[in-house]
Amino acid sequence: MKCTGNFDVRDVDECCINIDPIQVGGRLTADAMKAVIAYGDGYSVCDQCRKPFRLDYIRTPPIDAFHRDLAAFVNMDVARVVPGARRGFQAVADTYIEKGDPVLITALSHYTEVLAIEGRGGVIREIPKSDGNIITPDAAAGKIEEVVREFGRPPALLFIDHYDYQYGNCHPVRDIIRIARQYDIPVLYNGAYTVGIMEVDGKALGADFVVGSGHKSMAAPAPSGLLAATSERAGEVFRTTGVKTDVTGRTFGIKEVGMMGCTLMGVTLMGMMASFPHVRERVKRWDQELANGNLVVEALRSIEGTVVRSEYPRKHTLTRVDTINSFDRIAKTHKKRGYFFSSALKERGIAGVIPGATKVWKFNTYGMTRAQAKYVASSFTGIAEENGLTVTR
Amino acid sequence: MSKRAVDAVFEGLFILTDLRAMLRETAPHHTLSGSQREQVRTLLARLEGEISIIREDLD
Repeated sequence: MKCTGNFDVRDVDECCINIDPIQVGGRLTADAMKAVIAYGDGYSVCDQCRKPFRLDYIRTPPIDAFHRDLAAFVNMDVARVVPGARRGFQAVADTYIEKGDPVLITALSHYTEVLAIEGRGGVIREIPKSDGNIITPDAAAGKIEEVVREFGRPPALLFIDHYDYQYGNCHPVRDIIRIARQYDIPVLYNGAYTVGIMEVDGKALGADFVVGSGHKSMAAPAPSGLLAATSERAGEVFRTTGVKTDVTGRTFGIKEVGMMGCTLMGVTLMGMMASFPHVRERVKRWDQELANGNLVVEALRSIEGTVVRSEYPRKHTLTRVDTINSFDRIAKTHKKRGYFFSSALKERGIAGVIPGATKVWKFNTYGMTRAQAKYVASSFTGIAEENGLTVTR
Repeated sequence: MSKRAVDAVFEGLFILTDLRAMLRETAPHHTLSGSQREQVRTLLARLEGEISIIREDLD
């Protein structure tokens, strides 16, 4: 079916259970879809924009209140909406990193953190991961000391991901941040895989900045996200323009330099706002989400030769699994080769695994009903048994 | 066409969106429970009401 012109309707989530590791937390609520229908036009939120002409001051629709709600949601003082978590990283990097400054990330950091630092000419140093793919406080302390020895000063900034995108492992961010604070290093907490799906308390964690992704974890259209800061840091990262142009003598009110003025002026923001009441409730049901995830993980573990590469027991619904000695073994002789697995899943109405992937792959069970989780679990074991693999019941 | 018809167009789209959400919840086989069937019937009745408003406006 065509959506319009020469491109198709995207109905993957209507026709299948989607287990794509990056898509599930960003699927829209029905209310967000309604907002998309009504606010799809370009500058749709600007009808009632009045002095001082800034997005977070608009009262109709209630964008001003939404900004306050967002800050409270992650227990920080000030929040802004941004076009994706990456633009939050960039705003903080632009504020604190000068050319040649050492900046700490981790061995499991997202690439956009790297790009944000590279864009400023910062020198990246990675905190190594443990054998179990965890970033430990000891490793963080060691790396900070190493940086101090190398550069004669501590890192200008630390980016720390609470749950990483590669394994969905939980890293002890509170303890790591405590160490960073001893060196007065500003800390950006990357909550791309937490904010919007589980409760996050930025102040309890000790973070200077909390970044979240709307399209990854807040049931919002892309690109959307949030950057929240403590009151101490807000004046720096959300600094306002002070420029006066030379020929025309123009000034630009209270536009924020790091935000490039207004950020999300239409459908992205309204989708995020429409989902927010649901998001605020759903974070309280994280235990149920984990239970669904574990149902699927246990089904995979029951298949001979299958190993969960993420930490176990699981603390997140995103999981990395190694099927080199199970589904990949079948792929070697199957007539569809490596495509047999994604094809078998597709036949069962399950989407989101990269076609051809049978070695090491990721999935995410977030947002499934219990019935859907049971179905996915039985589909994995069913495919295994149909292809001669032993399943331990 | 009146403002009433404009509202009916949006309301109709919103009702269909609720149906779409149900398709997602029940994927891939869309086997509906008794209460879900009832919900769909209610939505369809409301949708027909909105379509009637638009029709009335045309006449």
